[in-house]
Amino acid sequence: MKTESSTSSRMRPEVVDGQLFKQALLGSLSWLTSNQEEVNRLNVFPVPDGDTGTNMLLTLQSAVEDIRESEAREISKIAALAAHGSLMGARGNSGVILSQIFRGFAKHVQGKQQLTPAELADALEEAANAAYRAVIKPTEGTILTVAREIGKAAKAAAAESNATVNSVIRAAVRAAKAATDNTPTQLAILREAGVVDAGGYGLQVILEGFLRTVEASDADQLLKAPAAAKAGPAQAALELPEEGWGYCTEFLIEGGDMDVEKIREEIAAMGNSALIVGDPDLIRVHVHTNEPTKVLAYASGIGNLTKTKVDDMSKQHRVILQGATPGQNGASAPKAEAAAAQPRQNGVGLVAVAAGSGLSGIFKGLGTDAVVEGGQTMNPSTQDMLKAVESVPYQEVFLLPNNANVILAAGQVPELTKKRVHIVPTRTMPQGIAAVVAFNVGRPAEANQAAMEEAAKQVQTIEVTHAVRDSRAEGVRVKKGDVIALINDKLKHSGQDYGEVVSDAVRGIGPDGYELITVYRGREAKDADLSQLTEALQRDFPNLEVEVQDGGQQHYPFIVSVE
Amino acid sequence: MPAAEQQQKPSNRVLQRAREKGRIEVFPDVVAALAGHAASSCYGVMGMSARGLRDGVAELLRRGNLHRGVDVREAGGRLVIDVYVIVQYGTRITEVAHNLQSTVRFEVERLLGVPVGDVNVFVQGVHEDRVEH
Repeated sequence: MKTESSTSSRMRPEVVDGQLFKQALLGSLSWLTSNQEEVNRLNVFPVPDGDTGTNMLLTLQSAVEDIRESEAREISKIAALAAHGSLMGARGNSGVILSQIFRGFAKHVQGKQQLTPAELADALEEAANAAYRAVIKPTEGTILTVAREIGKAAKAAAAESNATVNSVIRAAVRAAKAATDNTPTQLAILREAGVVDAGGYGLQVILEGFLRTVEASDADQLLKAPAAAKAGPAQAALELPEEGWGYCTEFLIEGGDMDVEKIREEIAAMGNSALIVGDPDLIRVHVHTNEPTKVLAYASGIGNLTKTKVDDMSKQHRVILQGATPGQNGASAPKAEAAAAQPRQNGVGLVAVAAGSGLSGIFKGLGTDAVVEGGQTMNPSTQDMLKAVESVPYQEVFLLPNNANVILAAGQVPELTKKRVHIVPTRTMPQGIAAVVAFNVGRPAEANQAAMEEAAKQVQTIEVTHAVRDSRAEGVRVKKGDVIALINDKLKHSGQDYGEVVSDAVRGIGPDGYELITVYRGREAKDADLSQLTEALQRDFPNLEVEVQDGGQQHYPFIVSVE
Repeated sequence: MPAAEQQQKPSNRVLQRAREKGRIEVFPDVVAALAGHAASSCYGVMGMSARGLRDGVAELLRRGNLHRGVDVREAGGRLVIDVYVIVQYGTRITEVAHNLQSTVRFEVERLLGVPVGDVNVFVQGVHEDRVEH
């Protein structure tokens, strides 16, 4: 089954003009939409700017609102519209900063038709400068730092002799990621909470979305937002009202003495599929609307909003359509494709998320139909997983997130497809491998689900990496550079060498009742490290068998499973 | 910190709290300094300005004088804080003011543990970029 890969680059833009910039911003919007929760979850401040993801999303939505319809080819016009829109719709601290970034960018490109790679880099740098100018005491380790690093990296990349628009933005994305990952070393509050800065991450996501669009071949598909949007999980994608209701908007209103009936009527009038339930103190709202900002503005006048979630359904819809193009005629014609590939007896497919070439290979070798690249620091989006699910020739699919941070995004996939998707909530790669091994083609999905979950539970995972900073977590004191071991996602042991730490970890799990230790070697592990580790394990646990697999994962020199 | 300023002001002892182990007093200038620092770290705030306009010109205060752009009162056991600021041109001023309110409230409550009633923001001036291309 071939699906259009959105990363293949048929179009190599030499310059950025207004329309490309517009598409790229729309791409940023949908990419931020699908990562919004991720950004929100990073918030560590209890009060100010509580929903960074939501605030940035609403600001960006406002920024693109006016440009959706614009056919202007001059970048100056599109940038000015975006700057104006983001200014008017700025929400929260991160939103105000984002609007300043747009403003700085727009100011710099004033009067320009299009931007060369060098001009683009200048504009990115100037955008960061403008953002810095609006604060007297800039805090490093925030979105500002990330913006500045973006500008710097873009300038450096543009100075290369063979610089292209792609290469400049790619360098900027890389720098954004590095700067975001570095924020905990700059801000103590992030360090203590063990997260990166939410606003910085949000900006990184926006730029990633930008890059995805610039690299994507089919500009046209992103251009026209389809009139018909998917209206809800239970409804067929193709039988929809003409107008379409662009955003699935959900939130809770906390207040006192609220008039539920009146609020229901008011909100229902702003969209369709409205579901408003609650009591005078707490109301839950779900509505599909073209103007989420309007709904949110109305609701915020009534009480405090929490759990805000705004999803661009047009985008989801588009992804579904794209994912289903060649070979299979969308979800509406399921019979044709079953015969295409070698059908599995029970008609159930397997999709897994895997980080690293080796691990992908292991999953494929075990019969996984599609592997989504991603993992610890690069979580795949719901769209990536949806695409993979749509690409397999089965109507019923198991999806293995294989990472605690991916489970949530994976959970949204079943709502977006007509296929029956079962999630096995695997939290680590070894759990996923155990689950795949337990998959039995002779049994229906329900029986498999239980067996796979059970198998995943039996596996103990030890992830081995280095501390990037001094810290103290869950009672374990760690020094920068120490080898640390996380048992099932929890930091448990630290020390000087791999063998010692992993042996401690295995001892901590209690090796009785287990038979096999599998070591998945990461990309950063040296031969000497590996032999030192395996020797220690064989010496300390003569009753257990030790097996080595090439995992190829980043960041974790070793992932070890005990089963 | 302006704790050294021991001039006799009419309402010097704003925050008095009886605790089991003794009394805690916080002088209003301290609250004002905390609020001033919180405010001046806010995005979009270009500076504090002296309370009240003299000759219609908002005076941008220097670092050491930040508390002068803040007025602290007590009303019904809660603090009322007035903040006088100059804001960056081209920002959404209402939003900057909202952020300012929540940041000042948050910081003062966090550092002093005293409930803040109102934070009133007075935008007394707009600051324009000097570095223009």
